[in-house]
Amino acid sequence: MLPSLRVTAFLALKSIIKGNIGVTILTVFILVLVALNLLFVPGLINGLVISANDMLINNYCSDIIIHGKGHNPKINHVTELISEAEALDGVVAATGRNNIGGTLKFKDSQNEERRVNANIYSIMPEKEKKVFDISKYLIEGSYLDSRDRNEILLGVQLAGVDNEKIELYASSLRSVHAGDKITITYGNGTVKEYKVKGIFQTGFIQTDIQAFISDLEYASVAPSMQNMASSIHIKLESNASTEKVIERLELLHNNLEYQTWEQNAGVVNSMTTSFQIINQILNMVNALVAGITIFIVTYVDVVNRKRQIGILRAIGIKRRPIIYSYLVRAVFYVAIGLILATLLFVYAVIPLEARHPFHFPFGPAFLVIDFPLVARTAILLAAVSLVAAFIPVWLVIRIKILDAVWG
Amino acid sequence: MLEVRNLTKIYVSGTVQVKALSEATFNVATGEMVCITGKSGSGKSTLLRQLGLLDRPTYGEIILDNRPVVKLSDGERATLRLQFLGYVFQEYALIGELTAHENVYLPGMMLGQKDVDFKKRAQELLQIVGLGDRVRHYPKQLSGGEQQRVAIARALINNPKILFADEPCANLDSTSSKLVMETLVNLNKEMKITIIFVSHDPDDKQYAESIIVFSDGKIVERHKVRGDTV
Repeated sequence: MLPSLRVTAFLALKSIIKGNIGVTILTVFILVLVALNLLFVPGLINGLVISANDMLINNYCSDIIIHGKGHNPKINHVTELISEAEALDGVVAATGRNNIGGTLKFKDSQNEERRVNANIYSIMPEKEKKVFDISKYLIEGSYLDSRDRNEILLGVQLAGVDNEKIELYASSLRSVHAGDKITITYGNGTVKEYKVKGIFQTGFIQTDIQAFISDLEYASVAPSMQNMASSIHIKLESNASTEKVIERLELLHNNLEYQTWEQNAGVVNSMTTSFQIINQILNMVNALVAGITIFIVTYVDVVNRKRQIGILRAIGIKRRPIIYSYLVRAVFYVAIGLILATLLFVYAVIPLEARHPFHFPFGPAFLVIDFPLVARTAILLAAVSLVAAFIPVWLVIRIKILDAVWG
Repeated sequence: MLEVRNLTKIYVSGTVQVKALSEATFNVATGEMVCITGKSGSGKSTLLRQLGLLDRPTYGEIILDNRPVVKLSDGERATLRLQFLGYVFQEYALIGELTAHENVYLPGMMLGQKDVDFKKRAQELLQIVGLGDRVRHYPKQLSGGEQQRVAIARALINNPKILFADEPCANLDSTSSKLVMETLVNLNKEMKITIIFVSHDPDDKQYAESIIVFSDGKIVERHKVRGDTV
C-alpha cells in the first residue's frame, strides 16, 4: 500500500511540475471562476438572510413578541410586565405597542387630497429606542419624544416624500415631508390632526408602511387603553437563548402568547426559501461545469499520455497508483482554484460589494462567507473533480498494454 | 529458468485470423544470452511480448522458474514484471517528465525499496551503462543511444532474473548500437542476468550465446553460436 502511495504522489507531483503550464493555468483559472460562482450565490443568499433577519428583529418584531391570549387580545399591566421582562437574564430591553387602524389624509400644495389606510402604532419612545433601531433610520425631522402630543412619525412608504423611486409611492401620500400636517381618522371614529415630526426609511417595506405616535398621544385617542398594549416586544442579548427567556416568562405569566422572531418571519422565509432553490440549481450547474472542465482536461491529457501509461504498466507500475496520480492532480487543481477563489472573494469581491450592496425589499444584502460554505464548496468541487478525472483515466487504463504503448 | 511450450498467438481482425506465433517450444537456461532473429513480421517481437508478460498468448504455456504464468491475473503479471523481469523497448520508452535518474528508480519505488537504496542503486546502474554524468538529464536532453541505455538501467533496477530487449538498437547508429550491445553483454557476463533480445541485424548474433531463428511465426532454427546446433 505504502509503495503505491509513494508512486502516486511521485507521479502526481511530476505531472504537475513538468506538465504543460498553459493547461495548468487555464484549468485553475476555470476552477477559480467556478468556485467563485459557488461561493457568490450562497454568500449573497447568506447575506440576504442575515440582513433580512436583522431587519426583521431590529425594525419589525424584536426577538420575542408577547400577545394577549384568547378572547382578550390586549395585555394588561404593561409597565409591570416590561419591568419583569427586563429583570430577566439575557434581556436588553422591552417595550409595549398598541395598534389601531386609521386613514391618513393629506392635502398637497395643489390642494389635492390623498388618502392612505395604515396601521398606527403607539409606542413608548424611550423604551422603543432600546428595542428597535427605527430611530436610526430617520431621513427627515426627528424621533418621537415621550411627551409628544399631536405629532406623528411616518414610514417613507406612507409619506412618499416626493420620491417616485420608492416602491409604494403610487399608493402613498406622495408628497408629505417632516413638518407637514396630516389628518387621521381612526377606526374608533376619532379624527385628529398631526404634525409629521419625522420620516423614517429602514429599507424594510413592512416597517416603512407603519406610522407611530407616542403612548401619551394614544391615551387621548383611546382613553380606555391605559397601561395596556396589543403587543410587547423584547430585545435579547446576542448570545441569549430565546427559548429559555420564553420559558421564564411563561412561568411568570402563562396567560399570554409568546412568539419568537422566526414565527414572524413568514415573508422573509418564503423569499429565502425561493433563493435557496435557485442556489441549489445554480450549484448543480456550476458543479457540472467544473466536472466537464476537469473531464476535458484529464481526457485530453490522458489520451496524450496513453503511451506513457502503457510504459508505466509495462515496467510494473500497477493500475491504482496511475489512476490515483490523476485523481490527486485533479484535487490539487481544485484546491488551488478554491484557495485563489476564496482569497479573491474575501479580499476583492466582498469589499467591492460592501461598497455597492445589492438592494432588496428588506434592505441591502452584504456578501457573507463562512467556513461551512467554503467546506461545502470544497467537498462538492472535489467530489465532482474526482469523478470527472476518474472516468477518462479508467477508460485508458483498461486498454491493453501493447495497444497503449504502440496505439 | 524459462520454458516455452507450444506458444501460439493468433490475431483476429474481423473474419481474418493471422497466426503470428505458431507452437513455439524452447528452453532458456539461467545466465544464457539468447538472440531471437528473423525477417520483419516473422513473429520474434510477438514472442518477446508474450515472454515479457505484456500480452497473452492464444494458447501454450510459459514457465518461469517452474511457475506457469500464462493464466495469472493482470495484477499478478504486473507483480512478476516488477519483481523478476526487465523489459527494454525498441523505442526507448522513457517517461518524458522524469530525469534519467527518476526513470530508473521509479520501479524500485514501486517495489517498496528504501528511498536511499533505490536511488543509490539507480545511480550505480547509470554508472554501469556509462551515464553517470547524465543523471539529472531529461530524456529529450539525451541522444537515442543514451536513452536506450537509461532504459536498460531501468530494466535492471529490480535485479531481474531475465532481461528482455526488443530490437534495442533498431533506432541507433552503429556506434551507439555497439555500445548498447556491449552493455548487455557485460551485464550478462558480470551480473549473470539471463538476456533474451530480438534483433534483425545479423551482426548482433555475435553477442549471443545461442540463436533462435523465426520465420512465419515458427522456430526454424536454434543453435549455439559457440557450440553445436541445438
